[in-house]
Amino acid sequence: MGIDRKITARMQSRIGPPLLQPFYDIIKLWGKKPFITSQLQPVLAFGYLGFSLMAAAILVFRLDLLLLLFTVATADICLIAASFNSKSPYSHIGGMRELLSVLSYEPVMIMSIISIYFVTRSFLVGGISSLAYPLLLLLPGVFVAMEFVLIVEMKKSPFDISASMHAHQEIVRGVFTEFSGYTMAMVELGHWVKMMLILSIMAYFWAPNLLIGVGLALLLFFVSLVVDNVYPRLTWQRMLKTTWTFGFTLILANLAALFLLGGV
Amino acid sequence: MYGELIAATSVLLPSIMGLACLGLTGRAVRRAVITITAVSLIASSILLFYNGGFVYSPNYIFEISILVFDIGLAAYFLYVGLRIKNVLVIGLTLAQLLLVMYFEYATAGVRAEPVLVIDNLSIFMNLIVNIVGSMICVYALSYMDEHEEILQLTKSRQPRFFFFLLLFLGAMNGLIYSNNILWLAFFWEVTTLCCYELIRHDSTKDAEKNAAVALWMNLIGGVALAFSLFVGYYAIGSIALNELLIAGAAPVILLSFAFMALAAFTKSAQFPFHGWLLGAMVAPTPVSALLHSSTMVNAGVYLVLRIAPAIKDTHLTWAVALVGAFTFMLTAVLAISQRVSKRILAYSTIGNLGLIILCAGLNTPLAYSAALILLLFHAVSKGLLFMGAGVVENRLHSQNIESWEGLLGRFPLTAIIMIVGMISMFLPPFGMLLGKWAALEVIASSPPSIVFLMIIFMVIGSAATTLFWAKWLGHLISLPVREAKLKAEKLHAPYLLSLLSLLSLDLFISVGAAFFISNLVNPTVGGGYSVQIGAPLFSINTTIGSFPVLLFWLAVGIIFIAGFAIAKSKGGVVKPPYLGGENVEGNPLAFRTVADSETEFKVSIMSFDSIGEGRLNKYALVGGTLLLTLLFLVVIF
Repeated sequence: MGIDRKITARMQSRIGPPLLQPFYDIIKLWGKKPFITSQLQPVLAFGYLGFSLMAAAILVFRLDLLLLLFTVATADICLIAASFNSKSPYSHIGGMRELLSVLSYEPVMIMSIISIYFVTRSFLVGGISSLAYPLLLLLPGVFVAMEFVLIVEMKKSPFDISASMHAHQEIVRGVFTEFSGYTMAMVELGHWVKMMLILSIMAYFWAPNLLIGVGLALLLFFVSLVVDNVYPRLTWQRMLKTTWTFGFTLILANLAALFLLGGV
Repeated sequence: MYGELIAATSVLLPSIMGLACLGLTGRAVRRAVITITAVSLIASSILLFYNGGFVYSPNYIFEISILVFDIGLAAYFLYVGLRIKNVLVIGLTLAQLLLVMYFEYATAGVRAEPVLVIDNLSIFMNLIVNIVGSMICVYALSYMDEHEEILQLTKSRQPRFFFFLLLFLGAMNGLIYSNNILWLAFFWEVTTLCCYELIRHDSTKDAEKNAAVALWMNLIGGVALAFSLFVGYYAIGSIALNELLIAGAAPVILLSFAFMALAAFTKSAQFPFHGWLLGAMVAPTPVSALLHSSTMVNAGVYLVLRIAPAIKDTHLTWAVALVGAFTFMLTAVLAISQRVSKRILAYSTIGNLGLIILCAGLNTPLAYSAALILLLFHAVSKGLLFMGAGVVENRLHSQNIESWEGLLGRFPLTAIIMIVGMISMFLPPFGMLLGKWAALEVIASSPPSIVFLMIIFMVIGSAATTLFWAKWLGHLISLPVREAKLKAEKLHAPYLLSLLSLLSLDLFISVGAAFFISNLVNPTVGGGYSVQIGAPLFSINTTIGSFPVLLFWLAVGIIFIAGFAIAKSKGGVVKPPYLGGENVEGNPLAFRTVADSETEFKVSIMSFDSIGEGRLNKYALVGGTLLLTLLFLVVIF
């Protein structure tokens, strides 16, 4: 996350914050005087963090990929619930838009996971490691489709409709508006965990040599940053159409190619 | 002997008690009657489970009675058709009557042996119907009192209401035991009767109109069943369902099954027959709860599950799956734009039934298991949701979900029940999500051509489902900052009993999902397929994936306990929301605008009229009709 802000800044001819800034931020946030909008809000904020960590654990312990996706979705729902919980205009708009972001990436993620099943014949993470070929060679379309998921998840332009690193005019901090202090720290941490999670899944696309995999993931990460700095924000309708059209087409084409060429 | 007694009781007791209700006008007596019936039915279904399966042919006198009642029923429908001057009702009833009478004449009263077959599927359905159904009857005791108070009725119409409610349950039980297709068709028609009478209970113009639609759509199903009877007899010379199911896959037999599938689709309100279920929402809420979670619609799904083993590996089964898939997707999308609470629940029901039918159609052991899992959890969760919605509706005097804003602050107990109900429909580790997980694994492991066809329907449906539940959920917990402590509101005993029982049941079966799958679902699957789900105490394992249910629950517990602990220790001062620095002192809902005047802001649920019924309903009708034609085409060619 620190790298994210540093590189983005450099692209914009700024120096940018120190690499460890996010850590300083979270430590500072935790120590601030706590203000909340309801008794439920901190619980839900922790839910976001908790379920994100749980999803990470599912990946680490090599469990079911669909289970991982549903856990990530649960984390998102916690965040959305927290933003709806506060009766605040910006929070509500942000929450609704976050829900639309979930609507955008969830189908693409499910189809990606099913594609992985197609080649590994298993929904367990372990199935990827026991493949003869790296996943990227078999599922390049899916890999690119996951880039869309990453951009939505990172809340970067053009899909940063629900929140952003910087305040947007009409929604202020969007889904994050009413968080502050320790609740904000938990949400930031959760967001970071989710980002790492998706990058890790992308790294699995070169399972034989995870170093190369990490490199690939970082490559897509860099692409997200470039895209962020080039594109303006799109409307939710455009986001939905784009992710679904590109996502579905890429994945289905990939699967069709596999079927015709290899007979999976 | 013992089992037969239980079976007979579960059909006859509700019918007799229902008749008793018709005569009773005393409220206390009626409550006693209903409660006794409810307890007996629940007990009977549990006893039946422990008794195990058996076959039974009641005395011939019952067969004659059924025939007599059948004709009487048809005569009544004819009378209704003439009374409301509905050509469709008259025509369909006549068709059905003539078909059945000709059949009886031509076959000289053919019998089926055995008449009743109670197997694991019957026991499974029996548990769902009786436990959830009885709870709804108890709930109805309070609801109807409130309902009639709101309507300011001078003379209670509850005797009539509870007569049909109980008759409904009795008919459902008879339906799931029937092996004689004539008996099946008879009980099927009795449920249609109850459906019609209950929808039009309030006797408003809307109620009458919607009841009529429900009637003729369900009569189409009745006629379809009659045709399936004809074709089946022509094929194998028997009207015993169990013989038909093992008679092979010749086109003429498949045609019989296709007609049965058609009947099932009308009963379960799949496209293009979804209209009646949506219209049925005008009925008092217990009707909606009963129709949409535990009886009517499950009759259709039951029939599909019954014939699924027989249509394995045929094109017919894919056609069935396609109907389910398309219905699942489009109803999920349609639910997004709805503002009436019961309509959202209705669309959700139709969609989930579509998902069950999709799984049944995909027809693998895992698919069949997934269908049963979905059926079980849906019945409980949806029953709970409808009942909760009924309570809220009576309190708020509005069905518009806009008015549900901040329900958590106003009616915490009901709100929490609704929230848990909603969460149980789309979030892990509840059973519905478990079913969806299994369904996704099933689709993935299907032949590639099927995957390509179904996967888009499935993922869009799944994502849309998340959208409309979360949207509604968020609105419920939207609390204005000044609300302090939540204080539980008072609920009448029947409400408390029924709601909390179903809530506990929901949690119980979700936490113990592995247990219920091994002891309830797997034996039922074993009847026609190899058991594919291993369910040791802690997780659900398929050959291709694994869902550690208990671990997940543990994690959920830990996360929320930790969350509450952190919230308690860190605490925090409750502050008004961010309003651009223009907050008004003392009013967290207002901000200063023109000339420093105070204005309260409003937040509302996002409307999605661009994908509303107006635009999408025609696709539902056209698509549904096309798929139905496909159903019969694949049989013929």
